[in-house]
Amino acid sequence: MATVRIPTPLRTLTGGEDQVQAVGDTVKDVIENLEKNHPGIRERLLDEKGVRRFVNIYVGDEDIRFLDGLSTALKATDEISIVPAIAGG
Amino acid sequence: MSISSPERDALQFKSALVVGVGGLGCPVALALAEAGVGRIVLCDDDWVDTTNLHRQILFAEADVGSHKLDAAERALYRAGARPHSIELVRSRFLPENARELSRSVDVVIEGADNFATKFLCADACFLERRAVIHGAAVRLSATVLSVAPEGAPCYRCLFEDLPTGASAPNCAEAGVLGPVVGLAGAIMADRALSALLGDRSAFGSLVSYDGKTDRAREVSLLARAHCALCSSESSIHEITYQRYTAPSCAA
Repeated sequence: MATVRIPTPLRTLTGGEDQVQAVGDTVKDVIENLEKNHPGIRERLLDEKGVRRFVNIYVGDEDIRFLDGLSTALKATDEISIVPAIAGG
Repeated sequence: MSISSPERDALQFKSALVVGVGGLGCPVALALAEAGVGRIVLCDDDWVDTTNLHRQILFAEADVGSHKLDAAERALYRAGARPHSIELVRSRFLPENARELSRSVDVVIEGADNFATKFLCADACFLERRAVIHGAAVRLSATVLSVAPEGAPCYRCLFEDLPTGASAPNCAEAGVLGPVVGLAGAIMADRALSALLGDRSAFGSLVSYDGKTDRAREVSLLARAHCALCSSESSIHEITYQRYTAPSCAA
């Protein structure tokens, strides 16, 4: 079971939780599992082309764009981080 | 970083542009001025409001209603900072002034509250080959990205293009917490001073801070192979209005 760190703008979808657990062998599987428990989150992360252009997803410290993208295989101890573009200050 | 006496001497001859004198720009400007940066250019078109005071540390209640740049200049001198010059650009950072302003300094520090300005700043700095430090903070989250004059990676390597449509992050719901922007501003200033002193080690790094868990992580980015700005396949060679027309963020 992977740990997914949820950024502030998406915590409205996770009941305020800053990290949640999700199951899946790949990043795509984990996102589908997240969607079951937190409806709406998939649309915030993905579009018809894949990961939205203003979102980055990391497995550990590695950007999945430089791994196998959504097909990146996961270990049970992996931590997934979502880094969306933010503007404010 | 600590600054030695020779480095302080060197900073007297350096210049920096601060885009947006808000929650991020205020601590950045203060830190740069106190470090001895000789020429500081502040760019903003806004006036001080009471809602700014909890996080925009250069402003006090007596400044409410003043132009932010006037209040910031007073505060910097009051704090004892003595840059050779503080230049005030009473305007937004816009397509018509972006390249000239970027070209006029050694480093650009961008703490804008909207995506259009962030992408404009990224593009102008790359086209003028200037290092740029991008910062952002929403609620308890903050990010700081340091970009080399030649990019690779750049802001567009990370986020490609402006968010559009209903799926864009909803900034209108967001607030900003004072200590989080203060921390982000301090990191931005640190990265800017490093760049001014010729230290390239932070270029390409993205710092993400989460105030709820008090955790920061830093990752080294890789350049996007097909980046529209800084790759060999770039398609952005000039600044055009149409490229920056996404709605502003209300945060």
